Amino acid sequence: MKQRKTQIKPLDIIVLLLLIGAGVYVFYRIKIGLNYKWHWSAMPQYLFRYDEESGKWVANFLILGLFTTLRLSIWGTILATFFGTVMGLCRVSPSLFLRLVSRGYVEFIRNSPPLVLIFLFYFFIGDQIIPALGVDAFIRARSESTQAILSFLFAPPELFSSFFSALLTVSLFEGAYITEIVRAGIQSIEKGQWEASRALGLSRWQQMRYVILPQAVQRILPPLAGQFISLIKDSSIVSVISIQELTFQATELMAATYYTIEIWTMVAGLYLILTLSCSLLAERLEIRMARSR
Amino acid sequence: MIDSDIGEQEKSLGDCIIRISEVNKTFPGGIRALDNFSCKVKEREVVVVIGPSGSGKSTLLRCLNGLEKIDSGSVVIDNIPLDLNPNHRLKIRQEVGMVFQSFNLFPHMTVSENINLAQRLVRKKTKKEAMQTTMSLLEKVGMPEKAASYPSHLSGGQQQRVAIARALAMMPKVMLFDEATSALDPEMIGEVLGVMKNLAREGMTMIVVTHEMGFAREVGDRVIFMEEGKIIEGGSAEHFFTNPRFDRTKSFLSKIL
Repeated sequence: MKQRKTQIKPLDIIVLLLLIGAGVYVFYRIKIGLNYKWHWSAMPQYLFRYDEESGKWVANFLILGLFTTLRLSIWGTILATFFGTVMGLCRVSPSLFLRLVSRGYVEFIRNSPPLVLIFLFYFFIGDQIIPALGVDAFIRARSESTQAILSFLFAPPELFSSFFSALLTVSLFEGAYITEIVRAGIQSIEKGQWEASRALGLSRWQQMRYVILPQAVQRILPPLAGQFISLIKDSSIVSVISIQELTFQATELMAATYYTIEIWTMVAGLYLILTLSCSLLAERLEIRMARSR
Repeated sequence: MIDSDIGEQEKSLGDCIIRISEVNKTFPGGIRALDNFSCKVKEREVVVVIGPSGSGKSTLLRCLNGLEKIDSGSVVIDNIPLDLNPNHRLKIRQEVGMVFQSFNLFPHMTVSENINLAQRLVRKKTKKEAMQTTMSLLEKVGMPEKAASYPSHLSGGQQQRVAIARALAMMPKVMLFDEATSALDPEMIGEVLGVMKNLAREGMTMIVVTHEMGFAREVGDRVIFMEEGKIIEGGSAEHFFTNPRFDRTKSFLSKIL
């Protein structure tokens, strides 16, 4: 393969200078126009604080929020992938009923504002379904060590049901988009693959499981990774139902300190750490899969 | 050469294994692909189907293993009727192997995995049994050293030979070839035709849609000329090429030969 040389042309330099100029101007406006007093030195303590009692450094607001965001994202990714795969398979099912159900799901979610969905789901799932499932009682009946594991994996017992409804909301929401990705992936496989496997006598499920899906997965990996990154970002929306994730914590902190710009810059940085590492991971996975072909 | 030719002419054909009677198939849009089509094929017989494009040759093959549903008429293969009963369909697909113009190998599997798959899933063989069959089939199509390669690393001719091995792995009683050499570069056509000739010599019942007239003449027990979903003329290969009865056949042959 030929290595492409990076050449800097005059236009590039002009664009670069304009960008730097814009950056300096914004900084200048904040510095002079806003008369903003910077409090960067106060920031690290919101990440970690020194605990006098135990004599150790422990996570503070923002890092705690980041952990909740992480939990929400990881479980959300798993659940959303599950919903998306099941619904995606329904989207291409020969059964009209299954197609209607999945179509209805996708259209409802994709055509409603996410904030409205959050409230709708929260008050429905949180108020009706979770108590009906008896999740709270189930958690409280566990031994202390089990409860500790559950709080590490999900949320402390008292916040469990609201975490659970937030999780369901996020994954149902992202699941709709994944459904479409899965559907497109399955439909992108050439007709000949279906015909060849059918001619060999494979059942529809076997065709899907051994011939179509493995090929579809390779094709949908890039858009899927994009969707997972969206999920991390979209998880910030559950701050409106008091889930103590990164955005919620930042809002609280800002209300208490008024260090607006520092806090939100910091939060943006923390989100970037999560999403960029996801991007890098996806890129490497893609390269590896391409190489195995 | 002469000996083998005589040998083939005297190949004894068995009982009727495929019965197609009064089959109609119209595609959405009103294209009549099969028009009251009837035909019988005997065991060990090699039937070569020729005709201009759009004459319904491919549709005929696809109706024989249920890839296309027929509108009316009946297809019976090895005494199993091809009807709406899914068990019958499955059974027929196991008895009928099909080779496509575009190979349709599974690109995410190695050559041996491609050939193993249906043996394991449909014939319920163990991995070891399947692998044994696979290796002997690869030997037969002349590429045992490619067992671990991926299809994308093979030439078109090699891919098509693997596709033939994959279809043979199901131990079918009938093989259908849908323009198996049409997508190949000229220098690769010979290797695929060679495999097909060997199969015919071993007594496989075959229906072959092809434009390879040399193959038709050498291997075909019977040649059928189709147009607009109907059989225009059919007969022994010898008769067909030297002394066609109808003008339509003559003009087609003059264009293609």
